[in-house]
Amino acid sequence: MIGFILADIRRHKGGTIAILLLVAFAVALAVSVTLQERALRLGSARAANAFDLVVGAAGSETQLVLSSVFLQAAPLPLMEAAAFQRLAADPRVAFAAPIGFGDSFAGYPLVGTSTALVTHLSPQLEEGAGFRQEGDAVIGSAVDLSMGAVIKPMHGTAEEGGHTHTGLAYAVVGRMKQTGTPWDRAILVPIQAVWELHGMGHEEAGHEETGHEEAGHEEAGHEEAGHEGGEHEHSADAAAPIDEDWAEHAAAVPAVLVKPKTIADAYKLRQEYRSGTTLAVFPGEVLTRLYATLGDAKILLMAVAVGTQVLIAAALLLVTIMHVGQRRRQIGALRAFGASRTVVFRIVWLHLFTISLAGIFLGFGLGYLVSDIIGGIVSRQNGFTMPVAFARGDLVFAAAVSAFAAVLAIVPAMLAYRQSPAAALKG
Amino acid sequence: MLSLTLKDIAVSYAGLASPVLSVPALQVAAGESVAVTGASGSGKSTFVNVVSGLEHVGEGVIDWGGTDLVRLAEHRRDRWRAEHVGLVMQDFHLFPGLSALDNVLLPARLASAASSAVKRRGRDLLAGTGLERPGQPVETMSRGEMQRVAIARALVREPGIVIADEPTASLDEESGHIIADLLIGLAGAAGATLIVVSHDPALISRLPRRITLERGQISRDSKAAAI
Repeated sequence: MIGFILADIRRHKGGTIAILLLVAFAVALAVSVTLQERALRLGSARAANAFDLVVGAAGSETQLVLSSVFLQAAPLPLMEAAAFQRLAADPRVAFAAPIGFGDSFAGYPLVGTSTALVTHLSPQLEEGAGFRQEGDAVIGSAVDLSMGAVIKPMHGTAEEGGHTHTGLAYAVVGRMKQTGTPWDRAILVPIQAVWELHGMGHEEAGHEETGHEEAGHEEAGHEEAGHEGGEHEHSADAAAPIDEDWAEHAAAVPAVLVKPKTIADAYKLRQEYRSGTTLAVFPGEVLTRLYATLGDAKILLMAVAVGTQVLIAAALLLVTIMHVGQRRRQIGALRAFGASRTVVFRIVWLHLFTISLAGIFLGFGLGYLVSDIIGGIVSRQNGFTMPVAFARGDLVFAAAVSAFAAVLAIVPAMLAYRQSPAAALKG
Repeated sequence: MLSLTLKDIAVSYAGLASPVLSVPALQVAAGESVAVTGASGSGKSTFVNVVSGLEHVGEGVIDWGGTDLVRLAEHRRDRWRAEHVGLVMQDFHLFPGLSALDNVLLPARLASAASSAVKRRGRDLLAGTGLERPGQPVETMSRGEMQRVAIARALVREPGIVIADEPTASLDEESGHIIADLLIGLAGAAGATLIVVSHDPALISRLPRRITLERGQISRDSKAAAI
């Protein structure tokens, strides 16, 4: 029976390949939507893992997480220095690391922070050492710079028409281990240097800079004018030792990563800093809300994928019914030579199911390949790893699609089964 | 080797006034060779379908050596036909993509009856028809060669009955002659009852008994006439 089916497949190579690809593409579409969504979810959850509690100025929770965890460039209101100083001194806080973004170099985000965050992200460095002077920079594992490379920070990004700070050039002194997060693409520098470059260093809290927006698209515009005038361009001393005594020297920051000592402390701190001018969030919590939105988008995409599958199933049904029609005489002859109705049913069913099954397998492979390629592109662009992997649920999906194909193949098989051999031979 | 008894057989189609086939009584002895002739539309094809069990008949008797096809359900008729009838058709109905030998063995394989004895017999039969390459794909063969494969296929399971429907109609005179030789010779050697439906005079003349159909009725039977 298998030999007979294979002979038929060989004879109709073109049609068989067409059906195979049709099934494969329909399945690949659904598979890649599923895999992609899962990879994004896992990847972002992994990225947020290191960030227990993020505190910033009152504003959008989502933006605070996107900017601090995912280093997405966007204007963020600054939190006043006093709040940061309070956090740093709080006994319930293991450490509070400032995160000052807005500058970039060669497309990599430049983040002003403290040694505590470097140690937190990469307890052991891949090479070199952490920063000791204001001109030191530690790079993420995916940053394509070598030790000692000179970094001239650019305000904003090149695409936004940012200008280069002339007040300070950093030198790469260390490289972190891979974290699988967007921070792999970051250049970490001492926050003091960032403050000083932006004219905020060694100034007391409560200065009117509080309302100013770092890296603002529009706001940066008029501020920029001042920078370009040259006289307002601030400078910093690259050789000055870093000073992390926040109580003495601190300025406004867009975000602070807080590592609470206990879970209870985490909840208390989040509660305390959620009022008035500050906003405290658990990135995991914000992500869960984002996932819900993502889930809705996934449902929509899945609906499109399933719709495609139904269309293709309908097309396949048409093709297979024609397939049986074309083989009326052949099927009649099989019956005439003594093949039973059951054998004819099995031949037609097995024939179509085999092709569909091969298409489903191919579709899963294709879907994986596409997801892997997309994941690779996302990783290169955003630095965070997209773990593309099949899960138990996919097995259920594979089984469901296979079962659907099996049921679909019954229709033409039934047609063949019901054909009278005498009538079929006449045609 | 089986004998045939037909009794009160009438096949009608809706919309047709007279039955396409009406046989009150007919006897074919076991091992006998019979030619059935008649103009087109005389009911020859229906006759083949009826005696081979391809067409369902509700009343009467179609008795082959004690088995009444009228009383068999469709799947039982299929199985009976597979075991007892070797069919040879005008259009061969070979399956392209398969070799000559695979075609010969296909019905046996589909009935899970392709024993090594059947396989050996398939090779012998193919050799007996003068085909030297059992592995040759059938689509590369001439029409005469294809009909030889079809004859080997009809005989491979040693059926008690061989039914041929216009076996020489689509062949040239020389091939038709070879096919007639093979059909009569091999069926005779196997001792099978042979029923040949044909309007080829060369083939008809070689069969001892001739039945002529006219508008669904037997108008002439050489055996009855001889009696």
